[in-house]
Amino acid sequence: MTPLLEVSGLRAGYGQINVLWDVDLTVEEGKTTVIVGPNGAGKTTLLRTLMGLVYASAGSMTLHGQTLKGGKTWDIVERGMVMIPEGRMVFPDMSVLDNLMMGAYPRAGRADWETRLERVFAMFPRLKERRGQMAGLMSGGEAQMLAMGRGLMENPQVLLIDEPSLGLAPVIVDEIFTILADLKAQGLTIVLVEQNTSRALHLADHVYLMRSGKTILSQPAAEVDLGHLHDLYFARDGGSAAVG
Amino acid sequence: MLELILQALYSGLLAGGYYAMIALGLALVFGTMRIINLAHGELVLLAAYVAFEMERSFGWTPLASIPVALVVVGLTALVIYLLIGRIRQDRELNSLILTFGIAIVLTNLILMIWSADIRSTSNSWFMDGVVLGDTLFSMRGEVIFCVIGVLLLAATYWWLNHTWQGRALRAVASNRDAAKLMGVNPARIEALSFLVSGVLATFAGVAVYTASVVFPAVGHNLTIKAFVITVLAGMGSVPGVLLGAVLIGVGETLTTTLAKPSLQELTGMVIFLLILFLRPSGLFGRKGMVKK
Repeated sequence: MTPLLEVSGLRAGYGQINVLWDVDLTVEEGKTTVIVGPNGAGKTTLLRTLMGLVYASAGSMTLHGQTLKGGKTWDIVERGMVMIPEGRMVFPDMSVLDNLMMGAYPRAGRADWETRLERVFAMFPRLKERRGQMAGLMSGGEAQMLAMGRGLMENPQVLLIDEPSLGLAPVIVDEIFTILADLKAQGLTIVLVEQNTSRALHLADHVYLMRSGKTILSQPAAEVDLGHLHDLYFARDGGSAAVG
Repeated sequence: MLELILQALYSGLLAGGYYAMIALGLALVFGTMRIINLAHGELVLLAAYVAFEMERSFGWTPLASIPVALVVVGLTALVIYLLIGRIRQDRELNSLILTFGIAIVLTNLILMIWSADIRSTSNSWFMDGVVLGDTLFSMRGEVIFCVIGVLLLAATYWWLNHTWQGRALRAVASNRDAAKLMGVNPARIEALSFLVSGVLATFAGVAVYTASVVFPAVGHNLTIKAFVITVLAGMGSVPGVLLGAVLIGVGETLTTTLAKPSLQELTGMVIFLLILFLRPSGLFGRKGMVKK
């Protein structure tokens, strides 16, 4: 079976500064792939490169066997891959409802935006209560939920999520991971970037570790040894890096 | 004296109607592209001269010339948009030089074709007096175009809030990358903002021609005025634009009444500096928007 999303030898960066050096990633349909790694490892840049927001200078990346290189972000969205950026990237001077409706902007979404909205409101009842509020006035947790709801309005086949628990209270983090587990149970293909390793591992089918712009570990979640992972994560390289 | 002041307030209010149309066009383009179109006033002027030419050659009323002006101004706006699209580096800064140059070219084209004479409509129907409550006087043209201005502003406001394209425009202005992630192609939205800006400029130009006077140097003036109003409003607020426009309009007419006409421009600038000093984000701007 060909993987849904396949990346190999990917190199990318901003202008003269290269961030991703040699990234390999394979995402199977219906599976949850978790990418962990310290700050500055290039995890967010990887997601942004997949979405066409950052220019890929070398390597290959394919979705459903078709290349993503040189693709425009808005076309990639229509091909079924959606990225949920961190909560600070909601539209602050638009209402919660308008933010959500932007998720249904592609032509295919406009016809049944109301059905999608009901589904998102069912998942995040708080967004329904706050729908008239300006997004910029929300708390960090609410903004994160809005970002997730807005992404789900796009009806994704592949969902890329960037650090959903960043800077949030533990109660909110619980809530967010419950929702991620629901989405996984519904069969959605998820690529999750997280710094909260132990939390993310519970959800994962497959785990990647990134450091300094490279994927240095690839393992099925069941085989991951948390101690070893943390050694690699914090660069306490006693043992040799297991490259899968 | 009170009568004179009331009259000044009323005339200022009427002028605010078309100032607001001009300023909103500038603000929309700034919102989506982070570009200040320094040729915006010349687009307004172009519409005014189209109305003049239609009246002189065919005897059309200014209202009838609006469709023709829409085409001419729309095409010119499109050319400006395409030229800006050719800028490869530092678009924010280089576009200032580019649009300033385009403004000079347009002003001189207008000067070549229509000469430096002061023009205004010769249609007497628009110049007939309309008296409100026995004391407030205005020309019919002023009232008509103030109403059109307010209606257009309301329509634009509705469009921004209740249509897919309008929401997308606000999204692009708010966070470009996030808008792309929602499936929006920002280039199309930018072109759209230019087009809407052209429509507003067209109506404003015909309004200036009908309710006031035009000559080639007016375009430059209008750009500055629109810029002042936009900054007063706090970028991207439609009600703010209307309020800022009325403020400038009233400030100018009051100066004319109480001091002398030559100080008009100064008043606008003083209001501008005062508000920037007291509320750096503009009247309706949120804190932190200044940082952009």
